[in-house]
Amino acid sequence: MGNENILKGKVALITGGSRGIGRAITLRLADEGADVIINFFRKKSTAAQTAGEARARGVNAHTIKANVGEEEQIDSMFREIEEKFGKLDILINNAASGVPRSAMDLDSRGWDWTMDINARAFLLCAQRASRLMKNGGRMVTISSLGSRLVWPIYTAVGVSKAALEALTRYLAVELAPQGIRVNGIAAGAVASEALKLYAPDRDLPQLSWQSTPAGRMVQPEDIADLVAFLCGEQSAMIRGQVIVIDGGMSLAPIGTDFSQQDGGEVDRS
Amino acid sequence: MSLEETMSVEETVKKIATRILRKSEADYASAASFKDLGADSLDIVQILVAVEDTYDIELEDEELQNITSMKDFVAYIERKVTDKQ
Repeated sequence: MGNENILKGKVALITGGSRGIGRAITLRLADEGADVIINFFRKKSTAAQTAGEARARGVNAHTIKANVGEEEQIDSMFREIEEKFGKLDILINNAASGVPRSAMDLDSRGWDWTMDINARAFLLCAQRASRLMKNGGRMVTISSLGSRLVWPIYTAVGVSKAALEALTRYLAVELAPQGIRVNGIAAGAVASEALKLYAPDRDLPQLSWQSTPAGRMVQPEDIADLVAFLCGEQSAMIRGQVIVIDGGMSLAPIGTDFSQQDGGEVDRS
Repeated sequence: MSLEETMSVEETVKKIATRILRKSEADYASAASFKDLGADSLDIVQILVAVEDTYDIELEDEELQNITSMKDFVAYIERKVTDKQ
């Protein structure tokens, strides 16, 4: 929990901010004193619950239903933000969806659905958010290691995240003169509901931490901590970077079991 | 009062499904499930969102997993609508 309220007085929009990684980010930014706007797609009750948890931390919390894959719904969301808050300081592009299919089974509808929500939405939200960031701002995109590593049915999401990361770099340069900092986070397998979509194998969480040098899976709170850092002043010179947070998993060959590191005999030869 | 509020749940679901799936009422009548109508996972999401928005209800994915027929789907929506009132 933040002690200094480094984001007091700031207004933050977290797309997909009601559950999983988004919820952790919402609550972390609330811990730092930011008023939070929680965008959600379907679960109004979940969004209301997360908003209640944020308010309990002493900040304002507002929920907005919108499918960020639809431009008119993004327009409506930002009209509501402007009417209620008059400004925006932080945009967290977290909402994501995807069709879990191999490349050969992916049709254009599944491709468009995934790209619209995961990549195009950031462009459209950033354009509208930048107009509300009159005194500078922060944008953080939540990407995935699937942008650079290959998983069997992750094609559409992986490609959309690669586009998101490239857009993060372009916007970091284009928006810098407005005092807007743009960075991204690429997470490995995160212990969340969404993981089940792409990893129906119930043993995956265990396998994942076993193959992670850090010795455990990435938790939503790990990502939230990094978001808070990227929204604070200590990261002022980090621009357009996509920071990997995976406990070192991507550094090691798949299948390496780090849970058995007992050292063994010292080589004395 | 909207048109949907004067229609039965079954009529509303039919209207939503035929619009999203671009099928005729005859196609709908001859199908037992959305899968029979050629619906894929994206179609299902769009149908669920449209039904939720129409009735201002939340459908639970865990409960929906056990529903395969349109008849059971309609009955489930009717229960949700009744519970809300």
